[in-house]
Amino acid sequence: MLIENIKTAFTQYKNQAEVSGFSVLREQAYQEFEKLGLPTTKNEEWKYTNLKVLANKDFESTCISSGNVKAFLQNALLNKITANKLVFVNGTFNLELSEIIEKDNSIFITNLAKARSLHAEIFNQHFGKYANIENNALNSLNTALLSDGAFIYVPTNKTVEFPIFIVNIADSSDVNVLNQPRNLIIVEKSASVHLIEMYYSLGSNSVFTNVVNEIYANENSHVEHYKIQQQEGESYHNNFTQIFQEANTNINHVTLTLDGTLVRNNLHFYLNGQNCNSLLYGLYMPHGNSLVDNHTRVDHAQPNCNSNELYKGIMMDKSVAVFNGKIMVHLDAQKTNAYQRNQNILLSDEATVNTKPQLEIFADDVKCTHGATIGQLDEEPMFYLRSRGIPEDVARKMLLNAFADDIAEKIKIPELVTLLEEEIEKKL
Amino acid sequence: MLSIKDLKAEIEGKKILNGLSLEVKAGEVHAIMGPNGAGKSTLSSVLAGRAEYEVTSGSVSYEGKNLLDMSPEDRAREGLFLAFQYPIEIPGVSTTNFLKTAVNEKRKYLGLDPMEATDFLKMMREKMDYVEMDKSLTSRSLNEGFSGGEKKRNEVFQMAMLEPKLCIMDETDSGLDIDALRLVSNGVNKLRNKDNAFLVITHYQRLLDYIVPDFVHVLYKGRIVKSGDKELAKELEVKGYDWIKQEVEANS
Ligand SMILES: Nc1ncnc2c1ncn2[C@@H]1O[C@H](COP(=O)(O)OP(=O)(O)OP(=O)(O)O)[C@@H](O)[C@H]1O
Ligand SMILES: [Mg+2]
Repeated sequence: MLIENIKTAFTQYKNQAEVSGFSVLREQAYQEFEKLGLPTTKNEEWKYTNLKVLANKDFESTCISSGNVKAFLQNALLNKITANKLVFVNGTFNLELSEIIEKDNSIFITNLAKARSLHAEIFNQHFGKYANIENNALNSLNTALLSDGAFIYVPTNKTVEFPIFIVNIADSSDVNVLNQPRNLIIVEKSASVHLIEMYYSLGSNSVFTNVVNEIYANENSHVEHYKIQQQEGESYHNNFTQIFQEANTNINHVTLTLDGTLVRNNLHFYLNGQNCNSLLYGLYMPHGNSLVDNHTRVDHAQPNCNSNELYKGIMMDKSVAVFNGKIMVHLDAQKTNAYQRNQNILLSDEATVNTKPQLEIFADDVKCTHGATIGQLDEEPMFYLRSRGIPEDVARKMLLNAFADDIAEKIKIPELVTLLEEEIEKKL
Repeated sequence: MLSIKDLKAEIEGKKILNGLSLEVKAGEVHAIMGPNGAGKSTLSSVLAGRAEYEVTSGSVSYEGKNLLDMSPEDRAREGLFLAFQYPIEIPGVSTTNFLKTAVNEKRKYLGLDPMEATDFLKMMREKMDYVEMDKSLTSRSLNEGFSGGEKKRNEVFQMAMLEPKLCIMDETDSGLDIDALRLVSNGVNKLRNKDNAFLVITHYQRLLDYIVPDFVHVLYKGRIVKSGDKELAKELEVKGYDWIKQEVEANS
């Protein structure tokens, strides 16, 4: 049973000697988790996303990987691109598969467990400061059981030349695995970085991956952040990302959910300074009985900021999608521009979409719009293409690619765009 | 080539084509005129295979085959082409990619290998010249943000690329400026040969000055109520449709 497994795992950590401040945090987090328990559908935020299936399964938190991860990664995207790579297998940092090509050694691209002591000052200044554990059971769980993750620090005025891949592989070859990846990214003033978070799975047992990301963007910085979910099979995935933006920062975020039994993405932006630009894009293509839930929240706490959000879904079979987009415009956040759209195409009569915008506006001089659409592929373009001799199935693919294109064009890595196109091709 | 007999079609229970008959032979150009709402676009939609229209009786044979049994894509690959009255925009589908797919799907259907990329580009350039279409348009999404006239040119350009046997042009002239009208007509005339045929739907005689028809038909209330040669179009230009409407009412 999951709850017992968690307790066992926590007790093991407790018995290990750890940096004292950290074990206090763990303890607090565990208490919080125990108090809250796994979210149920009674919780408004989890109304459509039921984690009950997890409760009766047994998971192991600290299991070794017996699968051939190296072979598995051979043809993966990260091996086709010149990039920095941090690879974690079942939550453990894998030095052999990782590769740091960044030459500037004032830029830290390493693993969290190491950074905790090596870069203690930066770590302590930022860790746990952005992602709340209070009243958040899964963030608490992540903190209580966390083993490792990425630690990236980009100092003032520095640009990380090549993208950084943060790759998490859940290997369930032997047992059901429970992973708690935890990433901390600090981008100082006028610095910039390109992050690609990827999730894979291998093995035939169940996987429950529960991620927490904290991204701090100091003034004038620029962050490209893509999150790609490709865990296949029985995989349950919860991701909480808090992006904290100081003044004049630009963040371009893309979430691609290409696989998974149950995927919940919680993407939170906090705009803490003026003239911030926050872009949130997402594409999901669930099939079979899978569920994809995107909960986003943008907190406009300061004036003169822009946020733009577009999430698109291609729904197959009996899949379910949830979109909940909250925009909070705080009292002081005058001249806010906040836009949000969620568009869905149903390729099956049995697919379901639950979409809900949530605008809470406390300032008076703001521009906010939202809109959601759910429908079939349009007849008119379909007929146009067919009337030129293009068969129905080819025409459908062209139109779905066109639909996805609004998101694909936000991705600045051509190889990743190709991957997306291949996935669309494969799915349909 | 095309034989339409007593065709009746409706949409949402509304009868639009009411027993329309028309014979078109290879090498011929037929102009179809008629007042707004007469059913001209409906006829072209039914011929192209738009599913919303229900054919309730009659037959259409195209090159000896039952056209109404064929899917829209098969009709196209068998050589039928409809230049739409209102070409739609398809964001995210590039014009070049779309045409390459269309051309190669047709070739596949005919048992031919796909075209070499260089040959394809050459053909594109050549056919674009037919209608003096701006090269930059092909790198954009299909018709997206094109002006009205550019969309119409694009239809004729596609027609030139696909080399159809039966071309149905639904008011391709509306929205074209005078120079474009001449250009597009010249393009069409270049495509004209003894093996293909044109159905040209128009409201204006001036198009028929350039594309000279062999026959002119008046479509009214879902039927062809009068046919003649190119002189009929000139007569309509002067007299309008009232006299024809009166004739029809008198006969019914
Ligand atoms: N989808 C539809 N639903 C209802 N009525 C329709 C539909 N399509 C066409 N009609 C009706 O059928 C009639 C014929 O329309 P059609 O477009 O064929 O006329 P047209 O001769 O092409 O006219 P125009 O010269 O204005 O282009 C019109 O009365 C029109 O309103
Ligand atoms: Mg019409």
